[in-house]
Amino acid sequence: MKEQIPKNNEWHWFKGGILVSVLSMATYVVFLALSYKSYPFGITSGFGTIATLFKQPFPGLSENPVIQKFSNSPAAPLAIALLIGVMIGGFVAARRSKTYQSEFMPSVWKKYHGSNIWKRSIVVLIGGFLLGWGAVLASGCTTGNILQGWAHLSLGSLVAGSAFFVAAIATANLLYPKKGGLKK
Amino acid sequence: MIAKIIIGLVVGFVFGYVLQRTGITKYPRVMGMLLLKDFKIMKFMLTAVTFSLIGFYVLDSLGVIVLNPKPLNWGKLVGGLIFGVGMGLLGYCPGTMLSRIGEGKKEAWLGLLGMVLGILFYALHVKFFKTYLTAESIKGDISSALGISRWVIVPAAAFVFMGIIYVLNKKVSDYRKNF
Repeated sequence: MKEQIPKNNEWHWFKGGILVSVLSMATYVVFLALSYKSYPFGITSGFGTIATLFKQPFPGLSENPVIQKFSNSPAAPLAIALLIGVMIGGFVAARRSKTYQSEFMPSVWKKYHGSNIWKRSIVVLIGGFLLGWGAVLASGCTTGNILQGWAHLSLGSLVAGSAFFVAAIATANLLYPKKGGLKK
Repeated sequence: MIAKIIIGLVVGFVFGYVLQRTGITKYPRVMGMLLLKDFKIMKFMLTAVTFSLIGFYVLDSLGVIVLNPKPLNWGKLVGGLIFGVGMGLLGYCPGTMLSRIGEGKKEAWLGLLGMVLGILFYALHVKFFKTYLTAESIKGDISSALGISRWVIVPAAAFVFMGIIYVLNKKVSDYRKNF
């Protein structure tokens, strides 16, 4: 027997998958009924709405078509509330399952790349930057392009979602070269 | 306004809760998937996609909803690759990033800042991206693009997804120690 991590109280993937699927479909029906057609269940818009805050220090941004689209969207309050909701959901779930753990960086990162806060911070900032840039360019993140886009069999989402994994797998193998490969 | 905020909070709460409880927010699980060693997240995702795929197409066929497939353009490929590099560097995607903030993982706040800056970068150069990447799009889903009935394509896709789940589940334990 290989070394195993202790069975924890995590939910089974099937349970989680079905719940997220029901949520995704229910949200789609409700949003359509309320005619928030422009905005099905997605996370990226909430980040876009935050980006509109930069209009205050940089008034020139008000003219920008992307910023205008995010700030004029009728779904903007919903997008922000959704974003906050996910944080609260994560918090309550972690508390209830006693897995809340305040830490700066993942322990796996520390083990392989050291505990230098600046190093990890720069990687996280660049990673976040690419995540945001890529998500708006591909018009959707994992939630919009895979969870919903794949379920609609959208041509665009099948390409975007596959690209996510191709690039992410390549990046991960460069970060953890000794850990790569399916075989032990 | 109030209704929108309440709906947003409820939907977000359930999403963040399920992601955390199922272990999708865990860094070793995400990296384990990307190193092709831990497939719990993949099985979770494909379960959600398969179930929704059938649900969405049934609802659409009944006339309850209208499907809204995202169009295909170069932005999907280039943006997808850029996003993927970000996901590999971080070890999470935008949704799990938020749930991780709730879990007490401080660095995720920096990820959030980075994401907002990335969106601003796109906004400032939108003309370029629109001209070269997203000017022309192909609309539609696989069945309309290939001209094959959805009653063939949807069961076939569901079958492929379920097959992948079955094989992954048989081959690799969710409880193997990878790091």
